[in-house]
Amino acid sequence: MKTKLLKTLSALLLVSVLLSACAAPTAAPTATAVPTVEEVQPTDTVAPAPTDTVAPAKPAVKLTFAAYSTPAEAYAKIIPLFIAYWKETQNQDVTFEQSYAGSGAQSRAVIGGLEADIVALSLEGDVTNIAKADLIKRDWKTLAPKNAIVTTSVVGFAVRKGNPKGIKDWADLAKPGLEILTPDPKTSGGAQWNILALYGAALRGKITGVAANDEKAATAFLTSVLKNVTALDKDARGSITNFETGNGDVAITYENEVILGQQRKQDYELVLPSSTISIDTPVAVVDVNSDKHGVTDVADAFVKFIFTKAAQEIFAQYGFRSSDPDVLKATASQFPTVTDLFTIGDQFGGWSKAKPTYFGDTGVYNTAITAAQKK
Amino acid sequence: MTTITPPLNMISKTSRRAPWARWGVKSAAFTYLTVLLLIPLIVIFQDGLKGGLDGLWQSISQPIAWSALGLTLWTSALMAVINAVMGTLTAYVLVRYNFPGKSFLNAIIDLPLAIPTLVTGVMLVVLYGPQSAVGSWLKTQFDWRIIFAPSGIILALLFINYPFVVRAVQPVLENLDRESEEAAATLGAGAFTIFRDVTLPALWLPIISGALLSFARAIGEFGAIVVVAGNIPFRTQTAAIYVFGEVESSNRQGASAMSIVMLTIAFGLVLFVDWLRRRNQKERSA
Repeated sequence: MKTKLLKTLSALLLVSVLLSACAAPTAAPTATAVPTVEEVQPTDTVAPAPTDTVAPAKPAVKLTFAAYSTPAEAYAKIIPLFIAYWKETQNQDVTFEQSYAGSGAQSRAVIGGLEADIVALSLEGDVTNIAKADLIKRDWKTLAPKNAIVTTSVVGFAVRKGNPKGIKDWADLAKPGLEILTPDPKTSGGAQWNILALYGAALRGKITGVAANDEKAATAFLTSVLKNVTALDKDARGSITNFETGNGDVAITYENEVILGQQRKQDYELVLPSSTISIDTPVAVVDVNSDKHGVTDVADAFVKFIFTKAAQEIFAQYGFRSSDPDVLKATASQFPTVTDLFTIGDQFGGWSKAKPTYFGDTGVYNTAITAAQKK
Repeated sequence: MTTITPPLNMISKTSRRAPWARWGVKSAAFTYLTVLLLIPLIVIFQDGLKGGLDGLWQSISQPIAWSALGLTLWTSALMAVINAVMGTLTAYVLVRYNFPGKSFLNAIIDLPLAIPTLVTGVMLVVLYGPQSAVGSWLKTQFDWRIIFAPSGIILALLFINYPFVVRAVQPVLENLDRESEEAAATLGAGAFTIFRDVTLPALWLPIISGALLSFARAIGEFGAIVVVAGNIPFRTQTAAIYVFGEVESSNRQGASAMSIVMLTIAFGLVLFVDWLRRRNQKERSA
């Protein structure tokens, strides 16, 4: 009798282990935290055949490119274009070594010795930290076009198909019982944009029931939204993946992440609040590294290249708002208008001011998350 | 010319004759240990103690850090208790009963050590998350949330630490002299009485050491927990996740301070297990 029961139990155990073993490999690819490095070889289909008039070929060079994870798909298309362009104009082969990971992690990796020639990160502060470590000597913001802001996006919401919870604006996020996903501001640049978008909208008096320019009221509103947060994932991608798994009613995220998700046939919808922040993502040449590798001219050319119309059109395809006015105009139908769009500069006086005030040890975020747990 | 393995007595003679060989082996082992373990540990301690003991205390006593440590300790402790009971049961079944597929089952027990814990976490979310059949049923019927709650943390820890108690108890149980059990049976004791009064006393040491080692491992678990817990300060953020957050926001001192506390607890437990074993050996030889 006893043995029979134990046999059944063991059989059940076996089945469950087998099930889990089956579930594991299919579930694994959803986690994409590991930086990946891949080489893109020059594509000989695009490169023109050398003619007698072209200058003699220069020796091939290699660029190391470290970026945050979101624009990986766009760069995968832009980089081959640049390789072809460079071959055509300079008759020189360029290869790229690319690495994509969280913005903060990339910044630390470069400071720690990853010899990237170019970085494209999600926060200006992450580039500033590299400059502070004496790896960027030049004035990187004025060297590149558009203050080195290569693309922009806005903070918005991903909601379930048909918007069953009726999420229209910030105020709806404080409804009791709602389940919200947003990444952890301690580990994710994207999460900091999210918190500042909410806080800025509150301070600007654009959230129903929250008085303008009242920091106490804004913090109280942030607290009531944080109460509804069920998971603080470690990065923006992790958060949206979690939402795609089926968790949560709303994910606070970048507009381009939602557009990209929809392109991959995810059936969630994009809702933009009436007031939100413009997410400006910078690019810079790490000149100490590029000088050492003797590739500063190519690196500079690449940075200029990603501001060209051809490259900007690709960014727009992947859901980024272009920094080129013509491309922005042409793709305007893709992007819902935001009535009240503000920037980190005009609302918060830049990242160097916002970081300690909002994300320091005694900052607004810590105050709010602490208050959110005391019910 | 082929070299032939010398007989055993020869080996011991040569090693006695060549102290340099023993010295070489010893110093190789010590160097390896120092480079791989000791130096990194010293760096963590040095980092965390930069602000002295006061600085360490200040980092740890911050409400968010303190509650993360508390959550880690109680979930790990509960896991260790469940693991002790169920691990012993598993070992007992594997040693004392015969059934088809036993060796397969026996091999499967070590799998949690081989699966990346991140995969474990993702699998648990898919299986028990609020969107899954099981998860939504538990939520609506009992208002019980597994994923993004402490239950999920315990579940993940149980999965990951499954082998520890089983593998500690199994060999002892296999080598256990069954005569006293049979004697008790002849005297009319029931199966449960025999287990409680005869078998179990011999298993205390492996059960406790297995449970404590799993506890020590659970304290530092990251990969699975970052996915299942939800990581909300005061509610579902464990010490390891807290450390990750501090590293990411460039507060290495805070991260190292918490690491020192976790390391010290784990180290204390390992020492305690070692002491229990020595004491047991002494008692036996006495």
